[in-house]
Formats: sequence, structure tokens, C-alpha cells
Amino acid sequence: MPPNKKKILIITTNHSSYPGADAVGQARLAYEANTYIIRVPDPVMFPEDFYLGAFDKGIGGIIIMSSGSDCPYEGAYERLSKRVARVYEKMKARGIKADRLKLTTICTVCRAAFLKEISEMEKAVAAA
Amino acid sequence: MDEKIKEEASKDNYRQEPKVGVYICHCGGNISDVVDVKKVAEELSKYPGVTVAREYPFMCSSNGQDLITEDIKNLGINRTVVAACSPSLHDLTFRGVLQRAGVNPYLHEHVNIREQDSWVHKLDHAGATAKAIKLAQAGVEKVRRKDPLNAIRVAAEQRVAVIGGGVSGMRAALSAAGKGLEAVILEKGPRLGGKLLDLGRLYPSGEEASAVVKKLEDLVRADKKITVHTDADIDFVGGFVGNFKINFKLPGGKSQQVKAGAIVMATGYEHYKPYKGEFGYGEAANVLTLPEFISLMKKLPAGRLEYGGREIKSLALIHCVGSRQVEGVHKPQADGKINDYCSRVCCTAAINTANQIKEKYPGVRIYDVYRDIRTYGMMHESYYEQASKNGVLFFRHTETDQPVVTSDRTGHNVKVKDVLTWGEELEFKADLVVLVTGLVPSDISLIKSQMKMPSSADRFLQEVHLKLRPVELANAGIFIAGAAQYPMDSTEAMASAGTAASKAGILLAEPDIPLEPFVAVVDEKKCTGCGLCPAECSYDGALTMSEKNGKKVAVVNPALCKGCGACVAVCEPRAIDVAGWTLAQFDAMVEAIAKE
Repeated sequence: MPPNKKKILIITTNHSSYPGADAVGQARLAYEANTYIIRVPDPVMFPEDFYLGAFDKGIGGIIIMSSGSDCPYEGAYERLSKRVARVYEKMKARGIKADRLKLTTICTVCRAAFLKEISEMEKAVAAA
Repeated sequence: MDEKIKEEASKDNYRQEPKVGVYICHCGGNISDVVDVKKVAEELSKYPGVTVAREYPFMCSSNGQDLITEDIKNLGINRTVVAACSPSLHDLTFRGVLQRAGVNPYLHEHVNIREQDSWVHKLDHAGATAKAIKLAQAGVEKVRRKDPLNAIRVAAEQRVAVIGGGVSGMRAALSAAGKGLEAVILEKGPRLGGKLLDLGRLYPSGEEASAVVKKLEDLVRADKKITVHTDADIDFVGGFVGNFKINFKLPGGKSQQVKAGAIVMATGYEHYKPYKGEFGYGEAANVLTLPEFISLMKKLPAGRLEYGGREIKSLALIHCVGSRQVEGVHKPQADGKINDYCSRVCCTAAINTANQIKEKYPGVRIYDVYRDIRTYGMMHESYYEQASKNGVLFFRHTETDQPVVTSDRTGHNVKVKDVLTWGEELEFKADLVVLVTGLVPSDISLIKSQMKMPSSADRFLQEVHLKLRPVELANAGIFIAGAAQYPMDSTEAMASAGTAASKAGILLAEPDIPLEPFVAVVDEKKCTGCGLCPAECSYDGALTMSEKNGKKVAVVNPALCKGCGACVAVCEPRAIDVAGWTLAQFDAMVEAIAKE
């Protein structure tokens, strides 16, 4: 990994995308090492300023890997989508490119989708 | 807090200066072949707040665990970070080490440098090492901000309510009773047995479905720990793990209530009902569904297969009716969705029926029209082989080229673009068309909405994790048995029911239930009483506004809170957090990760 490569923060869920990220490792698939996975019960807990604060701290890109329609928490995904839409508005106001934040759905076995999201974010971060 | 809910007695309520021990696992060579573990330990030993950092070949071994115990004893370590495999494997192992050494088990953080580092960055040793350092540092930041937590204990009713009195429900009640629990079956129909009452000879045992029902019912009725209510019309389900309440009405309008520590949802399925005109159903005579045909066959004597007074000499089975539907090809259901899932059991049921027809009425010609044959299950492929030997003719179509049934007074004409003959359009006459219909979820919308039970995209009840927690709903204390979860046959349904009852038995093994303390907590000093958070909460009664010491504050019911954190995001003064997963922890982790 080149030393100055911008870091990508990947927010995963305990129930779904964190085991999905494990599945990628179990299959010995590869992606770049500038990727940092944190896990939460559900990303719905983060307020808008959490994302903006992460960009301010120097994070290059953020992928929110939610559980989508498989989310075990009632109404959480809908609330998360609305919140992310508000984050995009604030990013626009600050001149942060929209492709540096991505809300997606990753299941426990979504290995290809996981890699695709990282690959796309790598491009967005490199172009930023 | 409700009088039935209390915090587990704390082993350590200390507020000592955090002393973090960091332990880097080689995992044989799984990690250390890629990650420079010595460098990680060296870097971490210099990190603020870290008292000691060590690397070891197998941290999960008893020698590895002893290292931590010794450091707790000799160096006063009161928080640990273990950088190793996935937390799904050993988070609990290391929590146990802390607990045995007298440290609060929730003052541990497990960092994944195997599945999410060494295994995915094999060709980038420097990158993987740098990442391991950052992840471990983020772990230190998190654990430094952790508070000791204590499991929540809830007094529990030693009773299981089983909703549904089919085979799954009866099996679940018997298993629960076998574990010493009381079980109450609430069945909406007039009899126990559910869908099995309509079926005939079952695969793989060859037993009559009615005999299986009788056997189970006799056991249920003889068990003093099981109470059965048939014709029970449930109008309310509420409460929380350990303390559920179910109100139901019996014929005559008499209301009753069951209190239960756990609920088993054995609500089963419905057969897909073809719409009017689907392959002639409801319009042409002699078009039946497979369940209707099985009911018919049960009543008919051997020798002559007849329907509507006419002898049936040829019969077409059409598979995947109401299952594996394709957008743009099939008509959507009432909710606008298509049933794109496979109903799993219908292929075997259809071919088993074809073999029974051949056995009972050898002269009847059977045409089996399918998209894919999926006789999943031990030895079930042999039914297909048997059917082929019995002379059943198979035709295979694609998902877009559906078979076409046209009917007149002489019978039905079935046209199939047959893949097995390289797309040739074949046509045959059939006296009877049997639609092999799929399974759809039962209508349990009232219970689902009252308890906020999650459904999958297929509308069946959704388990937390198909492999790790296969019979649990996200709602603590509610388990799924049988085809309420997804289409399954009676053998699978009974196995699933036994599992659900076992989980309920484990939950209710003690009069007080311990729960993970990862629920919302309110800092009353910071709470401004704005009232924004209850509106974000999807769970009735989990988060309310209340007067405390003359001040309006948010109050959490820890037994009802699911710990999703939806309330956290809307709290501007950051007065609410999910215990163990606080925003301050995540901010500090991101800071550590971002820092060059």
C-alpha cells in the first residue's frame, strides 16, 4: 500500500455486513489495506456530524454497509437512508464530493458486492 | 426500572485509571506470516494508555489466556485488547478470561486482524502490518472509553406460549414440556394438526399424515404440562422477554390471557392460491392444486381415479405455480411483490404424489411439467428416479416460456416448449391438470405488527442469522418453529420446532434471564427533555419521556430496547448512547484510524 493512500472507513453491522467482511477473508479474496472496518449494532446510531467529522479527521471515503431490508431492527434502514440523504446535502454545502460516501447493503455472504463497493470507493478516493 | 428488571450484581464497580493490556495473536502463522506481529506489539506498547503489549502464537490457548490472567494479577491490567481472529469466534472466550480474573467482562475489545487483515492482504505485508497497528490502536481508544457493564436480569415466567398447533407447534410444546416448562398451545383452528390434516401419505416414512398428527396429539393431550386452546383468536400480543402477555378469545367471546417467558411462533404457512385463470384454475373444470388433489385422492378407492364423476386417464402436473416467479412474466401478489423464492418442498411432494398415483392407478398417464426439479433432502432424488421408472413423462421449460393450458369439453391441451428436446414445442392432452402450488406465509400481520417482528423479503419471519442464530427473531425471547420461517417439510419443521423449544428452554433455565446490556442508556444530567428520541424508537414502551426529580427526561426500558441506536443519532446533546457502543468511542476510533 502506498504510504499516502487515503483511508477508507467501512461501517458494518454486527448481524450482516461484518460477517460478510469475514466471509471475504475466509474465501482469501483480496482488497487494499487502506480499508478500516468498524462494526456497530446498526449505523442508524450515527448522527450526520459523525460522517462530516470523519472527513474532517482525514478519512478519504466512507462506505456504510447496512443490512438493508434484512435489518433486524424495525424501521432502522429507512431512518438511516433519510439521514444519509441529509449528510449528502451537508457534504455538498462543504464541497465534499458525494461519491466519497456510499450507503449500500451487504449481507453475510455478499462477497462479490463487498469487493465491488471497495473497488468503486478506491476510485472515488483516488480521484478526490 | 420495572420491578421485574434489575441489573446483575456487579463484580466490580470500580472506576480505576484504565490500564490496557494489548495481546497480538500469531494464530499459528495465519496472522504472523503476513503481519509483523512484533512490530505491532512494539508500536502498541508505546501507545498512550497501554501498560503492556505482547504477541503470542495462540492467544486463545490456555497458555495464551494465562498470559492475560497473569498481567491482570501482576500489572493491574483492567482492560484488554486482543488482536486476533474474528470476534465471532473468540470475543466471548476473552470476556470469560476477564470475568474469571475478577475484571468486568465488558472491558474487553476484540480486534480482527485475521479475516479482515492478514487473510485479505497477503501480498501487502507492510500494508497489513500498518493496518493491524491502526486497528489495535483504535481498539485501545475504544476500550479506554468503555464502562463496566452488568448483564440485565429479568424475572421470567416459566412458561412457553406456542402460537400454532400444527406439527411444529405440537413438537415445540412437547420439547418444552420435556425440559420441565409449562407449554400453552394457542391454535386458531378447531383441531390440532394444522396443514397435515389435509395431507395424505408422507415422504420419506410413508406414514399417513393423519397418523402422525394423532401420535403427536395423543402425546400432547397426555402431557400435564401442556395446555391446549383450539379456536383461539389472538387479539393482543405484548410484553417483553420473560414477561409476554397474549390475549385471546375463545368461541362465545370469552377472553383469556396467557403469560409466558418465551413465545414460539409455529404459525406455519398457507398454500398459494392460483388467481382465476392461472393455467385455467377457477375457470376450466378439472384444474386443481396439488393440495386439493391430495385431499381428493385420500377419499378415492383404488382402481379408478375420477374427478367430478369422470374417469381420469391422464394427468398433467405443472410445477412452480406461485413460486420462483419472475418479474414481468408472473402476475404480482396483492402487495405488488412476486414470490421469487423456491418453495422447496413442492417438487418432492409432486413426484411423491405421482408415484402414489402410479401405485394406486397404474394405468393413468402422468406428464410432469417443470422448470427445475429440486427434490432436496436425503435420498429424495430416488423419488424422481422411481417416477421415471414408473413411466412419468417429464417436460422441462424455461422461466420465460411458461407452459400454456387450453381447455375445452374434451379436457385440457398442454403446450410446452421443451428444453429436454432442444426447445421443441410439444403438446399433449390431459384429463386433469394439477398445479403444484408453492407455500406462502400465514397471515399473522396482527401479531407481527404488535411485536414488530421482522420479515424477510419473502414475507416469512426472519431469523437473526441463518447459521448462527437460526430460530431466533431479533425480538428477544421469541423463537420460530417450522414453516413460519420459510417453506419446509414436516420432518424439517419438527426438527426446527425442537431447536426453538431448546432455545426457549435455555432462556428459561433460570428464573431470572440474563440479557446483554447493549441497550440505550440516558445521561439524565445531559438530557434536555426535548422529546425527540421516543419518536425515533420503533419499539413500543422501549423509550418514553418521564418526570424524574422534577425534570422531564428520556427513560429506557432495557428489556424492550433492542440497542439499534436510532435514538442516539437525534440527540444533539449526546445524552443517549448504546451501552458498550458509544459515539465517543467511535469518534476516538476514527481519530486513531485517520491519524497519520
